[in-house]
Amino acid sequence: MPFRVLFSCRALLLATLIALSPLALAQAVRTPNVEAELVSERAALVPGERNTLALRLKIRERWHTYWRNPGDSGLPTTLDWKLPAGFAAGDIQWPAPKALPAGPLVNYGYEGEILHLVDVEVPAAAATGGPVTLAARADWLVCEDVCIPEGADLTLTIPVDARGAPHPTWSSRIAATRAALPKPLDGWSAKAIGEAQKIRLTLTARGAVEAPGALRFFPYQEGVVEPSGVQTVARDGEGYVLTLPVAHQLARNVSRLAGVITAANGLAGAKAVTIDVPLAGSITPGPKPLDAPAPKLDLGAAASTSSLSLVAALALAFGGGMLLNLMPCVFPVLSLKLLGFVEHHDARRTMHREAVAYSGGVILSFVLLALALIALRAAGEQLGWGFQLQSPAVIAALAVLFFVLALNLSGVFEFGMFAPASLASVTVRNRTLDAFLSGVLAVIVASPCTAPFMGAALGYAIAQPVGVTLAVFVALGIGMALPYVLLAWFPGWRRRLPRPGAWMERVKQFLAFPLYATVAWLAWVLGAQLDNDAVLRLAIGLVFVAFAAWAWRLFRGGGASAWAFAAVVSIFGTALLLAPIATGNAAAAQRSAKPADAAWQAFSPVAVEGLARSGRPVFVDFTAAWCVTCQVNKRLVLNNDDVRQAFAAKNVALVRADWTRRDPEITRALAALGRNGVPVYVLYRPGKEPLLLPEVLQPGLVHDALATL
Amino acid sequence: MNAIRALVLAAVTLAGGVVTAAVPGSPAPDFSVNDASGRTVKLAEFRGRHVVLEWTNPDCPFVRKHYDSRNMQSLQKEFGAKDVVWLSVNSTRRGHDEFKSAEQMTRWMREQGGAPAAVLIDDASTAGRAYAARTTPHMFVIDPSGRLVYAGAIDDKRSANPADTKTARNYVRAALTESLAGKPVTEAATTPYGCSVKY
Repeated sequence: MPFRVLFSCRALLLATLIALSPLALAQAVRTPNVEAELVSERAALVPGERNTLALRLKIRERWHTYWRNPGDSGLPTTLDWKLPAGFAAGDIQWPAPKALPAGPLVNYGYEGEILHLVDVEVPAAAATGGPVTLAARADWLVCEDVCIPEGADLTLTIPVDARGAPHPTWSSRIAATRAALPKPLDGWSAKAIGEAQKIRLTLTARGAVEAPGALRFFPYQEGVVEPSGVQTVARDGEGYVLTLPVAHQLARNVSRLAGVITAANGLAGAKAVTIDVPLAGSITPGPKPLDAPAPKLDLGAAASTSSLSLVAALALAFGGGMLLNLMPCVFPVLSLKLLGFVEHHDARRTMHREAVAYSGGVILSFVLLALALIALRAAGEQLGWGFQLQSPAVIAALAVLFFVLALNLSGVFEFGMFAPASLASVTVRNRTLDAFLSGVLAVIVASPCTAPFMGAALGYAIAQPVGVTLAVFVALGIGMALPYVLLAWFPGWRRRLPRPGAWMERVKQFLAFPLYATVAWLAWVLGAQLDNDAVLRLAIGLVFVAFAAWAWRLFRGGGASAWAFAAVVSIFGTALLLAPIATGNAAAAQRSAKPADAAWQAFSPVAVEGLARSGRPVFVDFTAAWCVTCQVNKRLVLNNDDVRQAFAAKNVALVRADWTRRDPEITRALAALGRNGVPVYVLYRPGKEPLLLPEVLQPGLVHDALATL
Repeated sequence: MNAIRALVLAAVTLAGGVVTAAVPGSPAPDFSVNDASGRTVKLAEFRGRHVVLEWTNPDCPFVRKHYDSRNMQSLQKEFGAKDVVWLSVNSTRRGHDEFKSAEQMTRWMREQGGAPAAVLIDDASTAGRAYAARTTPHMFVIDPSGRLVYAGAIDDKRSANPADTKTARNYVRAALTESLAGKPVTEAATTPYGCSVKY
C-alpha cells in the first residue's frame, strides 16, 4: 500500500512540523487582487497584555485599497472579529494614506503591501499552553480603474504563553508599521480658521525646525475638505499655512478639523501626524470640484522654450541637415558618393550637374514628405513629425532597405547586378538621374534619423503656416545636400581626400556595420510597436533577403537558372512573412499600452489631470521607441538613481506618454505644449505654471526643475 | 470699508453659487445630453415634475448591488407611477474599458427590467461635471421648481452586498416621499458611496 504509506508519512511530517513550530499558523487567502492574512507581532499571545495583530494585505501592483475616509469614492477596509470569550479587539490603526487619483477624482488609500494593526486584549485568566484561534471577516474594496469588492474569512491559530517571544517575521515589520503610524503633532501648535471656501490650517513650531517639505491634509470626516481640490502650502513667519479647499457638499455642523497631515520631510520627526483642532471662523460650501481650475493640459501659459523665430528655425534646420550627413544611417550611404569623388575625375560640368541633381532629389523628397504630413493633418489625422516611423510597415520596409544596403557594402552583391544589362548601362550613362535618385535615397535612409534627432524642431515647423513649414524643410534639404555640393564645386577640397586604393574597399565593408546596427535598432522599434512575433518575422524575412541576394549573385555570376528561381522564391517568402506587419496588428498594439517600468504610469490627459488635482507634482515624459534622443535621455538621466530618488523625495508622479505608435491623444497633448514631436519633458507644479525642460536632458536640469517645486 | 468688501464678496459668491452649485437648496444645474435613443434631453423640459438623476455604470459592483437586488428597478417603477422623471446617467468616457454605447445601455437596462424615463449617454461628462457626480451610484432629487432637494448616497449601507438593501435606510425614497408630500427633505445631503465615475 504505497499510497497509504506515503500519506501517513506526509501526515507525520506535517504533525511534526506543527509540533516543532512554536509559531502561529495563519492561512493566507488569495483573492484575485489581494493576498490577505492575519499575523501576530508575537509568536504567542500573552495573557493580560496588549497583543498586536495585523491584517496584512498584499495588493496587486497598481491596485489600491482604501483608508478610513476613502475620499471621492471607494470603501474603507473592515474587520469583523470572532474571538474567544474574554478577548477584545480594538479598532484598525490606520497607516497614513496616499492621495490616489481616479480621473479627476481623488481617493485616499494604499498601494503595495500594507499592515493594518489591531490591538487584541487577552484576558489575564486565559489558559496558557494550548493554541487559540482568532477569526476575522475582512472586507475590502480593491480598485485600479475598475473596482472589485473582495473579502476573506481569516483565521490565526496561535499559542497562549506568558513569555510571548517576538515573531521572527512579523515582529519587526509590525514594529516598523507602528513607528510609522501618524502621531499627535508634538512640539507644534495647530490652528484652523475657516475663511468662506477655504480653511487655513496654520502649523507653528516652538523653536527652529527643518522645513517639512510637501504637506497634505487627509480629513477623517467626509464632506469637509474636497478630496480633488488643490491644497497649497505657504511659509508664514515661524509656521506653515496649509490652505484647504472646503468640500462642495459640505457636511453639517462641522466644528472641528481632524485628520492626518503627511509631510514629505517630516513634521516633529514624523512623516505623518494627527491633528484635531477646533475650527474657528466660518466656512461655506466650496466650488464644484470638477469645474475647479485644476492644472489643465492646455498649456498656453507653459514656460515654453519653443518660441523659435523663423530665422532661428531656418538656421537650426540648415545646421541639422548638415549634421544628418554624419548620422549612422546616412553616412555609410553617402560615403559611397564620396568614394566616387575619389575615384572619378570627371569634367567639371558633369560634376556640377550631378551635384544639382542630387540636391534636387534631397530637397524635393523633404518637401514631398512635408506636404504628405500637411495633407494628412488637413484631412484630420492626428499626426506629428515622426509619423513615418509610427507605422510598423514603414519600420519593416526601412529595416529591409538598410539590410540590403548593408549587404551591398559587405560585398554580398552589387547593385548593378539587379538591373538587366541594357538598363544598367542606361543608368550608368544617365548619371544625372542616378544622382537625383541618390538624393531621394539619402532622404529615405535619413528618415529614421531626422525624426529622432530633430523631432521637436521639425514638429515646431509643422505647426506653422504651410509656407513656413516648407521653408524649414527646404532649409533642411539644403543643409543636407551642401557638403556634397561643396565638394563638387571646389575640386581643390577634393584633393585633400586620400588617394584611391585597396583601403576604399575596406572602408566600404566596414561602413556596412553602422547599417547593420540601424537594422538592429529598427527591429527593436518594431518589437515595441507590435510584439515579439513581429521581430521574429522581420528577422527571418531578412534571412530570406540575404539568401536571395546570395543566390542572385550566383546566378548572375554564371550559375544555373535554379539560383534565380530560388532568389525570386525567397523574395516572395520575405513578402509573405512581412505582410502581417504591414497590415498593422492593432490588437497587438493595444495590448502593450502599459509602460514596462512600474515607476511610470501610462499617459492619458485624464490621468494627468487627476494626478495634478491630487496636489502631486507630475512629470510627463513624451517619448517613442524610435526616438534616439528620448532613449538616451531615458537611460542616462531618467533612469539615473539620483534622479529617481529626487523624483521620489518630491513625491513626483511619473507619467510616460509613449508615441511609438500613433496616438491622437498624445498628439493633441503635444500640440497643447506647442510641440509636434518628441522628446518633450514637462513638470506640472502644484500652484505654478508647468515647466518645459530642454530636449537634451541632464540630471542637473531635472534637479533644478525639481528645486522649483 | 470692510463691510463693503464683505458685501461684494457675498454677492460674488452668491452669483457664482447660482450658476454652479450642485448642492441641495440651490437651483439644479441644467444640462442638455443625448439619451440612448439619440434624443436630446434637457433638464429644463421637466420643470413642474420631480426629477431623479441616478449616476450609473453597469460594470460597477455597487451599481450591480442595487440592480441585482432589484432595489433600483423598484424605485424607478414606484416613483415612475407617481409622475417622477427618472433619468439614469452614464458618464463613463468614451474610450474607457467600461464605456457602453447607447445600444449596450439600452440592452442592459432592458435586461435588468429597469424603468427609467431615459438613459443618458453622458460620454462628454456634461451632466457629470455639472453635478460633480463622484460615484456610481450617486443620486440627486430635483423638485418641480427646479431646486435640488437631495444629493448623495442611495442608502445608508455602504457596501457592495445586495442583501444590505433590505435593511438599509433608503435616502432617495425618503427624500422623494417627503418632497412629493410638499414637505422639506429632512436628510438633504449624504456622502455618496460606490465606484468612481469613469471620467
